[in-house]
Amino acid sequence: MSRLKKILLLLTAILLFIGIYVVDVVRNAVSLGGSAWLSVREVAVFVSFVMLFLSIQSTRALRQTSVPKNIGQLLAYSIFVLAFVGLIAFLGKGSSDANGEVPTSPGAIATLLSSLTAIALGLFSIITLLTIRDLIFYKRKKGTKRNFLAYAVSLVVANTASLPLLPGESQLIASLLFSVTVVLIVVNSFKQNWVVYLSRREKLYSIGYSSLLFLVFLAVNILITQTGLEHSLVAYHPPLQSFIQLNAIFGVIYFGMAFVSTLFHMPTAEVYERKQSELTSLHNLSRLVTQVFDFSDLVDSVTSMTLEVVGAKSAWLELIKGRNDQGDVLVEVVSLKNITRQQIESIAVNSDLSLRQFVIDSKRPLLIDDVNADRRTKHIKKLDIAVGSLICVPLSSHSELIGFLHATKAFQYGFDQDDIDVLTTFADHVTIAIENSKLIAKSLERERFQQEIMVAQQMQKRLLPQKIPHYAGLDVAALSEPSLEVGGDYYDFVALDAHRFGVVVGDVSGKGVSAAFYMAEVKGIFQSLSRVAASPRDLLLRANQALSDSLERNAFISLLYAIFDTEKSTVTLARAGHCPMIHISGNSTKDVRPSGLGLGLTHEKIFEESTEETTISLKMGDVCIFYTDGLTESRNSDGEEFGADRLVNVGVNTKRNSAESIKTSILQEVRNYTGNSTYGDDMTLVVVKIL
Amino acid sequence: MADFKVHQRDGEGVSVIDLKGYLDAHTAPDLENAFQKLLNDRKFNIVVNCRELTYISSAGLGVFMAFIEDVRKNKGDIKLSNMSPKVYNVFDLLGFPILYEIFKDEQEAVVRFRAQLKP
Repeated sequence: MSRLKKILLLLTAILLFIGIYVVDVVRNAVSLGGSAWLSVREVAVFVSFVMLFLSIQSTRALRQTSVPKNIGQLLAYSIFVLAFVGLIAFLGKGSSDANGEVPTSPGAIATLLSSLTAIALGLFSIITLLTIRDLIFYKRKKGTKRNFLAYAVSLVVANTASLPLLPGESQLIASLLFSVTVVLIVVNSFKQNWVVYLSRREKLYSIGYSSLLFLVFLAVNILITQTGLEHSLVAYHPPLQSFIQLNAIFGVIYFGMAFVSTLFHMPTAEVYERKQSELTSLHNLSRLVTQVFDFSDLVDSVTSMTLEVVGAKSAWLELIKGRNDQGDVLVEVVSLKNITRQQIESIAVNSDLSLRQFVIDSKRPLLIDDVNADRRTKHIKKLDIAVGSLICVPLSSHSELIGFLHATKAFQYGFDQDDIDVLTTFADHVTIAIENSKLIAKSLERERFQQEIMVAQQMQKRLLPQKIPHYAGLDVAALSEPSLEVGGDYYDFVALDAHRFGVVVGDVSGKGVSAAFYMAEVKGIFQSLSRVAASPRDLLLRANQALSDSLERNAFISLLYAIFDTEKSTVTLARAGHCPMIHISGNSTKDVRPSGLGLGLTHEKIFEESTEETTISLKMGDVCIFYTDGLTESRNSDGEEFGADRLVNVGVNTKRNSAESIKTSILQEVRNYTGNSTYGDDMTLVVVKIL
Repeated sequence: MADFKVHQRDGEGVSVIDLKGYLDAHTAPDLENAFQKLLNDRKFNIVVNCRELTYISSAGLGVFMAFIEDVRKNKGDIKLSNMSPKVYNVFDLLGFPILYEIFKDEQEAVVRFRAQLKP
């Protein structure tokens, strides 16, 4: 209904009431007769009240107030109306006392007072009816509306019957209809569902309000049946008296029953409140889902919600980090509320009885009703912690225990079966959220790791020579194929002077980012030392010294350093644990393998003693092949290695070709051998042909 | 990928670790754990029998390097035995025979330990 319509309705009703009043005053004064007049007047009164009803109803429909507030407002109205009626009665009495006798035909003021009383009581009845209707419809069921409509219809019929239209037996019919209506009142009064949903506090209010309303409606009943008010109302509009009376009876019965009902529901108030908060908390679990991106937020919510769900005093969450050698679980407290780590430790640590162990063994929640009486927790008494009862719920994912959720209360018997059930359900959700959080963290970490690998790969690529240098008298070719991830192969060239050309090939143990870093270190060391080192052996000795402090204990680097002298037609090399150099000269093939230890394996003295240097003379057309073990250890699908012999064979067969061509042939042969096998270590190959 | 297995036997004053299969970066932690356990138990006289070791990578060699210092600090040693020529070649290439005693047979290594243990 629009606002304008409501105002129009209200205005029309008020105007009609004024009109009726004017007619009443005039009629009393001049004693107008005629029943036709009377009928029109009764209809007008009826229509006015209907308009009032409609306008109030549409106003109420928009309101959303709590039940106790609704009842409280009704009580306020009732007190206001009673006071108003009382005041009018007092004024009426005062005016009649002044005249000394009751006037036979009431004056304008008396008519006004009785009209206002009738309207006030009628209005109050309408509000009563609508309030009770709201209460009955609180939890609507199939029959609810039907029963209430039956009452409404019966009410209207009973009221109409009270009009003095039917002569004779009308009195009997009227009483019959009245009784039927009262029966319907009783039927409707059983609808007290709203009581259940009240909180403890609201129930207390409700008890107060309904008992007062019970008394108020009793008073109204007496007022309109036992006093002069009855005649005054009947005189104003006969059905009005019956309407007010029936609704007052409804008020008495309904609020009487509400009082009793609320009283009986009082003991369950706490339970209902708890259920309500449990429900809210479990609903809040959906919050957990959104927090899986931040582990610390997640576990923080878990403990604060544990406090909420069961009304615990303190709570903490432990996750299992592993087991020690004795097989005992090692836990980490990831979140705590109202308790310190020290206190948790002192609660958990008890000479031989571990609370966690009980939970692990039984796989069920452990409840200790009285901490002081239980032998597992007696020790807590001695501590300065106010703990009366304690609960420990396991968190298990796919039958694997991942942690424990603890809650304590300051008093004994603080937790009941409901708490255990709720916490168990809660624990399941927590487990899922924690598992998800871990998975997300893991996938984020993997992504980051892959990015790191990519950076390392790019770095590694740049550390290798970007192009093969041209050096007079030597034909050089090289390739380095990193494995799937990051390898530790290294090769480099250095033109020392017009006739000396250095080649270095190395392999850092291990793979991944650390290998790439070591490789960068080796490059730096090589680039600087190659300028100052007197010989390959000297360079290796210095490099070992430089690296021994920075390498991890289980890491080492193999290196082979060869210096080609085009003036003397020699190659001088020293080897630090690296694969030998293959020297193909005419029809002979040799592994050049001076003894030597890997870099970073041992301290200077032994290294110095065991590292040799060798010089061999070269002829035009000789081929020197340097490689890393990744090449000779390339595997075919049967898991067999390519081996050094195959490498030598390809070298021998292609020795007349250019270095580049030899290199390509070797690579091709390796490819043919490994086929689609994905075994991937780095492989590096440097071919130097003497021109 | 071939399996890798570590098995430990305790003799009189000497512990023997049998290696079997393929020792590389993926399987190296198994051997690390075995060594760590021996160190925790304060067993420092260790013979590693490589009879059934088919392959060892640089990461596998690194495991020996990681523990040798601690073992020797405690007056013990890691001795190796029963290597196939191929595996020996890998050890040899890096110069391990200079740093470790390598025996043809496990018993020789044990006898050597016994000799060292006698005052």
